[in-house]
Amino acid sequence: MIPFNFIRPASLAEALDFLAENGERTEIIAGGTDLLVELRGIPAGKKGPKWVVDISGLPELKGIREEGEEIIVGSGSTHWEVHTSELIRETAPLLAAASATVGAAQHRNIATIGGNIMNASPAADTVPALIALEASAVLRSREGERVRPLSGIFVKPYQTDAAPGEILTAVRFRRLPAEAKSAFVKLGRRNALAISRMNAAVVLFLRDGVISEARIAPGSATPMPERFAAAEKILIGQKPSEELFRAAGAAVAAEMVDRSGRRWSTPYKEPVIAALTARALREALAG
Amino acid sequence: MKKIKLDITVNGVKHSLKVDPNLRLLDLLREELDLTGTKEGCGIGECGACTVILDGKAVNSCLILAGQCAGREIVTIEGLSDGEKLHPLQQAFLDHGAVQCGFCTPGMILSAAALLHANPAPTEDEIRVAISGNLCRCTGYTQIVEAVQAAAGKDKGDWWLQI
Ligand SMILES: Cc1cc2nc3c(=O)[nH]c(=O)nc-3n(C[C@H](O)[C@H](O)[C@H](O)COP(=O)(O)OP(=O)(O)OC[C@H]3O[C@@H](n4cnc5c(N)ncnc54)[C@H](O)[C@@H]3O)c2cc1C
Ligand code: FES
Ligand code: FES
Repeated sequence: MIPFNFIRPASLAEALDFLAENGERTEIIAGGTDLLVELRGIPAGKKGPKWVVDISGLPELKGIREEGEEIIVGSGSTHWEVHTSELIRETAPLLAAASATVGAAQHRNIATIGGNIMNASPAADTVPALIALEASAVLRSREGERVRPLSGIFVKPYQTDAAPGEILTAVRFRRLPAEAKSAFVKLGRRNALAISRMNAAVVLFLRDGVISEARIAPGSATPMPERFAAAEKILIGQKPSEELFRAAGAAVAAEMVDRSGRRWSTPYKEPVIAALTARALREALAG
Repeated sequence: MKKIKLDITVNGVKHSLKVDPNLRLLDLLREELDLTGTKEGCGIGECGACTVILDGKAVNSCLILAGQCAGREIVTIEGLSDGEKLHPLQQAFLDHGAVQCGFCTPGMILSAAALLHANPAPTEDEIRVAISGNLCRCTGYTQIVEAVQAAAGKDKGDWWLQI
């Protein structure tokens, strides 16, 4: 492992002070399940961070709570805490489902939702679920706090627009009403070729048997996670049916190719994302 | 690199140490404390050979810095047996032929111990999920799952609370 210094601030304020002075040469560590793999990959002799600052014990980043209609998930919540939270299971079951699929127990016990987001991998499982929940990111620096739609913080794969002095403190979203239908489905790495970990998060609202609102957020389909408006449009004003869900799946595949272009992996990804989307819609409807 | 101070409890024993800041928990256990029952397979979180129990939960010791464990409690495979007397899970692994080369075994047993700690009567599915981060190249998972079921089935009072 390349050399670096390690500090463990006792409070969020202390961590933000440290980052304000040293942010440029510092890596933040939460669960470490992405960062330590990355640091280990830096060849001996090459320059790594001067500092690693540990935020994993900070009480300000812990906890899942509701404030009126909003659910606030501390960035330091582990995937285990997210998927076993009664509040999340009730108000955002697709997020509980996404956290439940991250890695193995050893990862979920320690890896955080904040790390999943800030690592900005196109394959991060909780991000499509959060985007389908129309979540916002709460970013804090010594100077203050900014709240942005989560979908707006991704610049390119593995990069967000967070400044070196900023810490993601929480994500927040409106609770799904009890009648909303949602699902998260994922193609596991072990039951498929390891080309990519594709997934899909969907939310549907129905009024008088007709779809009144639809949100579709596929993961690993585009360089940056986002909703697929063309496919959503196909659903709105329609009665749910197998045919309709297949059409929406096909539209997602077409939109993916439009946005990402044709690549070596496209012949594999096209049918997979179409089928995953249709399956997610089916599962959402079935409840 | 400035050394850091670290107070940590391993298998019930308190240690006050000064360690390198880039030391992983895995290195601390193997190199500094001579607890070589914890194995390094992949070093990148894929195989589970380095699994230990941190505050009651299974984690990969290759993916956590020693400094992050300050003030916390670790249990390694050396902490399970009572002297020469094997832990029921260890005995069940032997009885069910769940050990071949043995490289995966410490991690596998600690994942199972963490599971039984939280869920004393798991279903087969729950066992498979709990050990899904532990790869075994020789035995195959059937005997391992049977061993965990056998250990869970035994009425040993609250022995699993001892982890
Ligand atoms: C074997 C294996 C399997 C995996 N499987 C999956 C999977 O199935 N699905 C999936 O989505 N991921 C998977 N991952 C990736 C990883 O476990 C997750 O992305 C995890 O949520 C990262 O969280 P962490 O707390 O460990 O992040 P860390 O490694 O601590 O941090 C990740 C990055 O985010 C930054 N960061 C962390 N917290 C903050 C914060 N609060 N503010 C600002 N920056 C921050 C860090 O500086 C770092 O750059 C896997 C990883 C491994 C090793
Ligand atoms: S050595 Fe830690 S998971 Fe393989
Ligand atoms: S017994 Fe050899 S790897 Fe499991």
